[in-house]
Amino acid sequence: MDSLTIFLILLVLGFVFGKLAEGRHYRSIQAREEMLVRLPATSCKKPIGNSSPIGHAELVHGHVVISVDYFKQLLAGLRNFFGGTIQSYETLLDRARREAVLRLKESCPTANEILNLRIETSSISKGNSGDRIGSVEVLAYGTAIYYQQASPQHSRP
Amino acid sequence: MNYQPSLPEHNDNVSHQHPVREFFVLITGVLVFVLIGYWALGLFVDVAVDYLSSEQEATFFSKVDINWDFGEESMPEEQAKLQGLVDAFKPCLSLPYPITVSLVNSEVVNAMAIPGGKMVVFSGLLDALSSTNGLMFILAHELGHFKNRDHLRLMGRGIVLSILAMLAFGGDSGFSDILASTINLRTAKYSQTRESQADHTALQALQCHFGHVGGATELFKTLQSQDEEADFEMLHYFSTHPELQQRIEDLNQLAQELGFPVQETKDLVL
Repeated sequence: MDSLTIFLILLVLGFVFGKLAEGRHYRSIQAREEMLVRLPATSCKKPIGNSSPIGHAELVHGHVVISVDYFKQLLAGLRNFFGGTIQSYETLLDRARREAVLRLKESCPTANEILNLRIETSSISKGNSGDRIGSVEVLAYGTAIYYQQASPQHSRP
Repeated sequence: MNYQPSLPEHNDNVSHQHPVREFFVLITGVLVFVLIGYWALGLFVDVAVDYLSSEQEATFFSKVDINWDFGEESMPEEQAKLQGLVDAFKPCLSLPYPITVSLVNSEVVNAMAIPGGKMVVFSGLLDALSSTNGLMFILAHELGHFKNRDHLRLMGRGIVLSILAMLAFGGDSGFSDILASTINLRTAKYSQTRESQADHTALQALQCHFGHVGGATELFKTLQSQDEEADFEMLHYFSTHPELQQRIEDLNQLAQELGFPVQETKDLVL
């Protein structure tokens, strides 16, 4: 009976705090996406904006590690049984992907454009019994380019 | 090609179904699967137990040493006397192997048959009974479980259940532990059919040993009166009266049918 109580407490805690954290994160993501929407980040290999000469380019990256809450983990475990889309992990990965791109953009606020944006995901799970960690890492990387006339003050070695 | 700064109007990458609803749908599905599997494999266990001979059972459990750990055995004298009482049934009950009694210090009013020819008696049972006949009936009842091989059925079902729980919820999900602790051996129960069969065997053994069946219903009556007190204090949500009353009536009816007399009982001295 004790373990059932602990399980239910964990479930409720996971659900409540997971939901709170997710709501807060989404609000932050939306606000920052609006702020950074004018900085283009594309998967194209060539600049899509004007064809001004490029002053310099650099590799930029942003990454994030997000953990799943107990409730989502359990839901995914149950899904394992029947198959189908693991909806509980969708928001987790969506948040991680958007957060990683935001961090990438925030790392080069004066860039004119980010080219060749790539996103990679890896799961961080350690241990195979009892307290398995269910976390995901998303890494976004790309090439930030700076036009010569757009940011003449910006010069890096 | 011009860049148009814009954000998507809505997020198509996440599902908007409510997760709590999904949780209840999934958990109901899993439980239905487990229940059906448990029922089907339970039938399989019954068939398998009928095929397993007593010699095979004895050989198997003599090699496997299971640490049941029910509690402390601190009353060697009483335990030896209980063993004597159990051995006294030998001429009346044909059991394929000797039964070892262990008396465990506990308030639980129960006794149980566990595989490997071991009978566990909780000392609470001795406190709840006042006659030797009443105690002997319970011992015979447990011997009846051995004779009808219910201990194997119970263990088989336990194994089936833990395997199912592991399949359904994964060995590391915590769910399996919960199921294992919920289905505690100490409180495990046989089905009513199994219990009444064991009652039947015990009644015949009691008649054979004492020449009458007085005291057969003693424990059930005691438990019933305890329940009534508890009900009076509004402690019990689920009254167990019908079950106990049914068992008492069944025993009385059976004794009448078989023509077993009811006589004075002997006081319990251990």
